[in-house]
Amino acid sequence: MMHTCPSCGAGLETPLGCVACGVLVSPASAPSPFEALGLEPAFALDAVDLKRRLLRFSRLSHPDFFATASPETRELAERGSAILNDAYAILSDDFRRADWLVTHLGGPSESDEREMPKAFLMEVLEWNETLEQARNSDAPASLLALDELHEALVRRRAELMRAVGRGLAPLPSEGASAGAETLTGLRRSLNAVRYVDRALREIRALRLARAAR
Amino acid sequence: MGYLELEVLNNQPAQAVAIGIDLGTTNSLAAAWINGRPVVLRTEDDSGIVPSVVNVSESGEPLVGRKARDQAVVDPENTIFSVKRFMGRGLADLDVDLSSLPYRVSETERGLVQIEIHGRKFTPQEISALILTRIQQLACQVLNTQEVRSAVITVPAYFDDAQRQATRDAARLAGLDVLRIINEPTAASLAYGLDQKKEGTVVIYDLGGGTFDVSILSIQDSVFQVLATAGDTHLGGDDFDRLLVDLAREELGAKLSAEELSDPAFLQAARLAAEKCKHALSTAPECELVLVVPDSNLHWRRNVTRTEFEARIEPLIQRTLNACRQALSDANLETAQIDEVVLVGGSTRVPAVRRAVEDFFGRVPHTELNPDEVVALGAATQAYVLSGGTRELLLMDVTPLSLGLETMGGAVAKLIQRNSTIPCSVTEGFTTYADNQTGIDFNILQGERELAKDCRSLGKFKLTGIPPMPAGMARVAVRFHIDADGLLTVSAKEESTGVQARIEVQPMHGLTDDEVEGMLAQAFEHAKEDFDARRVADLSAEIGTMIHASEKNIDAGREHLDREALADLEDALAAARLARSSQDLATVQSARDALEQATLPLAAVLMNEVARQAVTGRKLDEM
Repeated sequence: MMHTCPSCGAGLETPLGCVACGVLVSPASAPSPFEALGLEPAFALDAVDLKRRLLRFSRLSHPDFFATASPETRELAERGSAILNDAYAILSDDFRRADWLVTHLGGPSESDEREMPKAFLMEVLEWNETLEQARNSDAPASLLALDELHEALVRRRAELMRAVGRGLAPLPSEGASAGAETLTGLRRSLNAVRYVDRALREIRALRLARAAR
Repeated sequence: MGYLELEVLNNQPAQAVAIGIDLGTTNSLAAAWINGRPVVLRTEDDSGIVPSVVNVSESGEPLVGRKARDQAVVDPENTIFSVKRFMGRGLADLDVDLSSLPYRVSETERGLVQIEIHGRKFTPQEISALILTRIQQLACQVLNTQEVRSAVITVPAYFDDAQRQATRDAARLAGLDVLRIINEPTAASLAYGLDQKKEGTVVIYDLGGGTFDVSILSIQDSVFQVLATAGDTHLGGDDFDRLLVDLAREELGAKLSAEELSDPAFLQAARLAAEKCKHALSTAPECELVLVVPDSNLHWRRNVTRTEFEARIEPLIQRTLNACRQALSDANLETAQIDEVVLVGGSTRVPAVRRAVEDFFGRVPHTELNPDEVVALGAATQAYVLSGGTRELLLMDVTPLSLGLETMGGAVAKLIQRNSTIPCSVTEGFTTYADNQTGIDFNILQGERELAKDCRSLGKFKLTGIPPMPAGMARVAVRFHIDADGLLTVSAKEESTGVQARIEVQPMHGLTDDEVEGMLAQAFEHAKEDFDARRVADLSAEIGTMIHASEKNIDAGREHLDREALADLEDALAAARLARSSQDLATVQSARDALEQATLPLAAVLMNEVARQAVTGRKLDEM
């Protein structure tokens, strides 16, 4: 997957350029987020290492270091940096990372598996009720309920993502029917995470609005 | 003269440098990287601060800075302050009460704010360009160089695309090559990080004259990475002043008529008095608000205590804290995880502001760096990086606002989330909905609200040049790219045919390229005149010095000079005296050059004399 530098011949850590000699490379095809940051596709990754890669490669390709270069080189730096930043945004977020893997392994998309189990939807309705109450009342009871909901949702999310992590290690292969089943299951879990995240965002917004008052 | 020439030898023009400019609402300032550190560009007896005020006389002559500010009460209608508030804005966007402005503001057909001075219409970009030109002149003077062409200019982090573009256009009008537009708090963090050599998670609380920003950064291994930013582009010290002006207007309501209360001279006087009172209240527990308007025979005094002032500005301070909460929430951090808080901007001198920030973050904020200078110093540092000075520092900033497209129902489909690290891009697929459709229109929005009408339109983009094909067959990939300046560019390609589609942009609140070109052409005409006039003035002053020095020494040199040299000198002196009253650059220049030539023999005589006197009367071993 990795190539050598067209300028100095060193092995490329990222298809976007050469850390050894500093030359920027225009990759033939858009690199995947994993390729851009010089990683093999996997769900489990080391957050500190990921950040270190982003900074290392940004030191190579950030447009600030090419401000006086030719327009073509500046454009290359802009594109390369955008690819790195986008890759980091995807990989540093467990949900987006899993979503990317499931999609690119040929699994169903979010809308393919839109139907959620009835029991889960009932739960979501309960969350919404708690949120609605907290929105309309400052009573200690509704605030307490909000805090409890927050805790429960954080726990719930962690459980769901742990299950997703198990399903993605090792990466299921798309061809095998067992793999296809796994991917469908993963997508369902991820869709559930979406509901949880939406509720968590609501809580955050609610708390901000309350603090602002 | 001899001594003049010796000085010239030491005055080798400095190498072309890129400067950093803090183009503020109230004040502007330039700095440059000199001998390994950023330095504010100032002349000896000066702070370097240029008030962001422009006064235009009836003949069209602009005054900028302190001289312009001095005209505020005398010539209120033609003295423009706080123009930054209008950059990239339409009248509808302004939350300023127009009746409280001493000068006249109107709108172009395209919805751009324009300021009317002596019947001539100026865009905010043009006014800002005048301030930038002044800064540029000062920088040339201090750096002793012919021209400063490239600069990093700072903007509030919370500036949207139109406001950034307007700043870029202003610089273009001033003939400056903008190396980068950077965010004020980010610039401040650079200066702070370098100065204090600190690492960790840092909050920059930047309350300026007209804008508020808060940015949270992680500083690590010389990488300055912005985690989140939030702010309010219409909140600053100006608003503190306005509350005091309102106080004066309320209490004078019974005494003065409505017209008198909206009279430009009254408003400028009230604004200046309020500013003065606010400054005093930063150190004194109480202060008199003194308002004198000779034309209305008004002489009014009112004691204002700090407590009263603080009660009035409290809601504004709360607004800044709400932005802090937002930024923390976006960065997914609690106040306890913040290592340092740094105060930037003149308005952070207000004790109530300091107290509120301290209470909110639970730690004493840093105030070691001059809050008026730190942004310019950071900009100079970044200018040094951008001109290839170092690869040590790396600054990674974010886009403050989400970017989206208007959907069929008037909602917003988010393309890029706020606080995404820049540069960033996203590519979206579009298709046609009618057979042989060759164009697609779309409306690009910036903002956090769900409905298009509540967000800010950056403009209508028209995609043209799609090859004719059946409906739904075209696959147009549109790439939205936010560059390192935080500015949006859009490009498009029809993927089945590979045809490069064209994008036409009609900026909502910006200048089109043609408009900028037009203004530039005009400015160049005037620039030549302005430059010549300044050069004539400089040369004429120089001739004055030379005449004075020659007259003083000519008698002493007479006995040593040959007749021809003496006659040449006297002729040149006579010609130079005449030339001083000329306004023609060529005439003045040649008179000065001739005089310089003619004084050379006299200079040589004087130098010999000095040397002889130094040697005479001394013993050999003393030498």
